Amino acid sequence: MRRHERVIVAAFVLGLFGLWEALARLGRLDASLAPAPSTILEALMRLLKRPEVLTSLGVTAWEAVAAFLIAVPVGLLIGFTLAEVPVLGALFRPLVNFLFGVPKSIFLPVFILMFGVSIPQKIAFGVFTTIFVLIVGGVASVQSVPRELVTVSRVYGADRWQIVREIYLPAMAPILLESARLGLVFNITAVLLCEIYGARDGIGYRIAAWGENLQMPQLYAALVIVAAAAVAVNEALRRLEARLGFWREQS
Amino acid sequence: MTRALVAIQGVSQHFGVDGASVPALEDIDLEVPDGQFVSVVGPSGCGKSTLLSLVAGLRLPSRGAVRCDGELITAPMPRKVGMIFQEANLLPWLSAVDNVAFPLKLRRVPKRERLEAAARMLELTGLAGFEDRLPHQLSGGMKQRVAIARGLVQNPAVLLMDEPFASLDEQTRMVLGDELLRIWSETRKTVLFVTHSLHEAVYLADRVVVLSARPGRVVDDVLVDLPRPRSFAMTTGERFGVLKDRIWQHIKHAERR
Repeated sequence: MRRHERVIVAAFVLGLFGLWEALARLGRLDASLAPAPSTILEALMRLLKRPEVLTSLGVTAWEAVAAFLIAVPVGLLIGFTLAEVPVLGALFRPLVNFLFGVPKSIFLPVFILMFGVSIPQKIAFGVFTTIFVLIVGGVASVQSVPRELVTVSRVYGADRWQIVREIYLPAMAPILLESARLGLVFNITAVLLCEIYGARDGIGYRIAAWGENLQMPQLYAALVIVAAAAVAVNEALRRLEARLGFWREQS
Repeated sequence: MTRALVAIQGVSQHFGVDGASVPALEDIDLEVPDGQFVSVVGPSGCGKSTLLSLVAGLRLPSRGAVRCDGELITAPMPRKVGMIFQEANLLPWLSAVDNVAFPLKLRRVPKRERLEAAARMLELTGLAGFEDRLPHQLSGGMKQRVAIARGLVQNPAVLLMDEPFASLDEQTRMVLGDELLRIWSETRKTVLFVTHSLHEAVYLADRVVVLSARPGRVVDDVLVDLPRPRSFAMTTGERFGVLKDRIWQHIKHAERR
């Protein structure tokens, strides 16, 4: 049944692309707006052979990874602290919740003022955007630890470290991974936005240039690359999450 | 049956609530001989559970001393005292057998040894064949059996049970009560059993300790002189009714206040 459904979905998607291709070739679609899929694919192949495009992809990946690697531990640490130290939690959580809801792009000019148009600026803005997801996720993960299980472990003689390892970590793991996954999506979006807004390199910078020059095949090809990378990472984290959260009833 | 395995001596417990000191238990003296099954009953909020958490070493009494096997209890003593709660409180990411083995894991018993011990306990509690189930794949009664197996896995002398059947349906509760008596007769643990159910208290125990309303004091200590093994037929007998009624008189007055 599931296999059956997959075939139908795949056929449907392929059908859409076929229709698009046909309409483009028949001149029913404006090629300058929506070039045929085959044209985009061709552009994609060409792009992947151009060293400067590969360098740009590398720059973006580096920015995103660096921002992610800073935001995750720092954000979680802040989240754990806010959850475990009631005074700090009471003081800072309203602020965090407020900033969590504000569109971060508003602050982009501030980051340019602080860091100039540079790679550190992209990383800093990526961290700034991502970290709130991790803080909120860190707080939620600590709060998801059932207190009764901590009591049970104490009755059975667990020391502090054993409680962390045997109860806290496994209980928190699914929410931690979920936050990391969400954070990653925010992070990639932030870095790309930064590059499109103003940069010297990076795939976002190329996208902006192609867009300004109305080079639609290249623009869509870049979209395919970014989407493929995002989906791949997202899917990998989602699988890990499902594996570590197998014990949750709803899974 | 002469040695007091659990000795609660002049124990009072106060809680600080909004700066005021609220008494929960007042001057409790209770000696439980080795192998005795004691039920503790009392009106809601009388500190029954607090009493158990003192024996579990989860908190220290404000006054007095709690001893197990002569030793003053200042911290949990997992090898001497096992505890079962109202909810099974199993670790949801561990299989039944791993949950039972968990106290041994905390003590760093080698894996093979602890899994063997856990499997034996699951067999004792009637769960052979369910070793690899996750908690969410078990019924409420089965989860509580796993919790009992976990409480017994270190072969502690004392088993503390804090309303262990309260969240089960009546039929499951009756079946598990009989199962508990069977396990008790095989292992001869000293049991402190807190319950809201007078029926359960009398049916299971050698002795029922009745606490007053907050702050809890011992107002009666009833010897249950019904023969063992207990049977359902006894519960309709005259003696059972007399015992239950005697306890009910205390509770009734306290709850009415």
